[in-house]
Amino acid sequence: MAAIQFENVSKRYVLHHLRPRSLQELLVSLVGRKPLALETLEDFWALRDLSFTVEPGETVGIVGHNGSGKSTILKMVAGIFSPTQGKVTVSGKVSALIELGAGFHPDLTGRENVYLFGSIMGINGKEMKRRFDGIVSFAELEQFIDEPVKHYSSGMYMRLGFATALSVDADILLIDEVLSVGDAHFQEKCLQAIEGLQQRGMTILIVSHQLDLLQRFCGRALLMEHGHLVGYGPTDSILERYEHA
Amino acid sequence: MNPLRRLRELYAYRDLVKNLVSRDLKLRYRNSVLGFAWCLLNPLLMMVVFTVVFTVLLTNNTIEKFPVFILTGILAWNLHTTALTGAINSVVGNANLVQKVYFPREVLVIATVLSNTVNFLLSLIVLFAMVLLYQVRLTDTLIFLPLVILVQVVFTLGVAFVLSALNVFYRDVASIMETLMLAWFFMTPIFYRIEDVFPVYSRLMYILNPPASIIAAYRDILYYGSITNLDFFTRTAATSVLVFVVGYAFFVRLSRSFAERL
Repeated sequence: MAAIQFENVSKRYVLHHLRPRSLQELLVSLVGRKPLALETLEDFWALRDLSFTVEPGETVGIVGHNGSGKSTILKMVAGIFSPTQGKVTVSGKVSALIELGAGFHPDLTGRENVYLFGSIMGINGKEMKRRFDGIVSFAELEQFIDEPVKHYSSGMYMRLGFATALSVDADILLIDEVLSVGDAHFQEKCLQAIEGLQQRGMTILIVSHQLDLLQRFCGRALLMEHGHLVGYGPTDSILERYEHA
Repeated sequence: MNPLRRLRELYAYRDLVKNLVSRDLKLRYRNSVLGFAWCLLNPLLMMVVFTVVFTVLLTNNTIEKFPVFILTGILAWNLHTTALTGAINSVVGNANLVQKVYFPREVLVIATVLSNTVNFLLSLIVLFAMVLLYQVRLTDTLIFLPLVILVQVVFTLGVAFVLSALNVFYRDVASIMETLMLAWFFMTPIFYRIEDVFPVYSRLMYILNPPASIIAAYRDILYYGSITNLDFFTRTAATSVLVFVVGYAFFVRLSRSFAERL
């Protein structure tokens, strides 16, 4: 069975344009029969008739210009968005590195935030306790773990976010533009950690504009254009098409 | 998703509820000198305000042991209003989280209501102190107190589900509720006796306004020391469960599109 399967998936967003209204317009609409439109609605299709499968243990990259639907795909796999049409099938537990430190509260200490984030990902306290030391040492924050995270530098914040999210035991990992964390040393450490997950057979989806990273990790890649899937194949040939598009 | 699976999923996230509740309680009193003492001091100060207004400024008051009378009403109402106003903003206020991570969204509402419930339970200390001080004769109906609290929490959760989901789509909800809560406060027998209300209205109040009969039950137990009308209270409990079930179903249905509308 495929780890991720999209069957003819479309996603429509309804854009709500708030219209600035004048008093005159308001009065006219009160007198007239036409109901007053507080906002105008416009449909926007973020994804159109998308079909693809990702096999278990595979690492797939997603490329495309801004607004082509890359992040929408990840959010649908994560279960944050539901498809307007079609069917998304995901087998296994999903962990998302969509925004590092989402869910961290500035007034809580690093320690408290790690446990809070663990429970947001559905991991119980006992399990989190077991992983805690590993997370702290990966983030290299032993000295600051009992400080409120509002006193962290942005690098420290990201490191803790990355280490925590990475410790989640999932079958499928989603990565959205978060691979450039911290200094060169920490970045390399993160990349090696992801390689470790690959070797353990985790299915990974990566959205990135860093093409060298996609080349390093992904066997196959998806090329997106305005919500349409225009190519799915070996990373090299997809990246070549993307660069010449 | 079928309801049973949804509930099982919710159960799997019980640690998140626990952590959010403890986050709430920790943050509420962090950086304050008196800290936890505030959840005792606040109701005490409110009691003083109401007592001064209704026994010193307005002297035609015939309610005995007024401080105990008012405190039972205020504490229950406080739970109601703080839980609801907190819950209305619980989804919207955590927009960043809802858009980035998947988890059952009702966790946010449940945690808000529960953390306010914990606060309420702590403030009961003050109430029991006043009960002793004014020598209210407590009877064995006291064993019904946990049941009354449970019914109130269930009712509040149901209303909180509806309001917090609606607020995602129409932020007007939070604004209008500010006024509506004030109206609701006056329509509920908190600083007056329901017996003093014109009978036609008091009947309506009991039927349409569960907090009215919940507060009446608290008073029966903690102020009059009498048996509460079980028949009537059972009906209130049934209404609360109904509100809860409908509210929860409504919330779950709308929660699918929360991430897009935030």
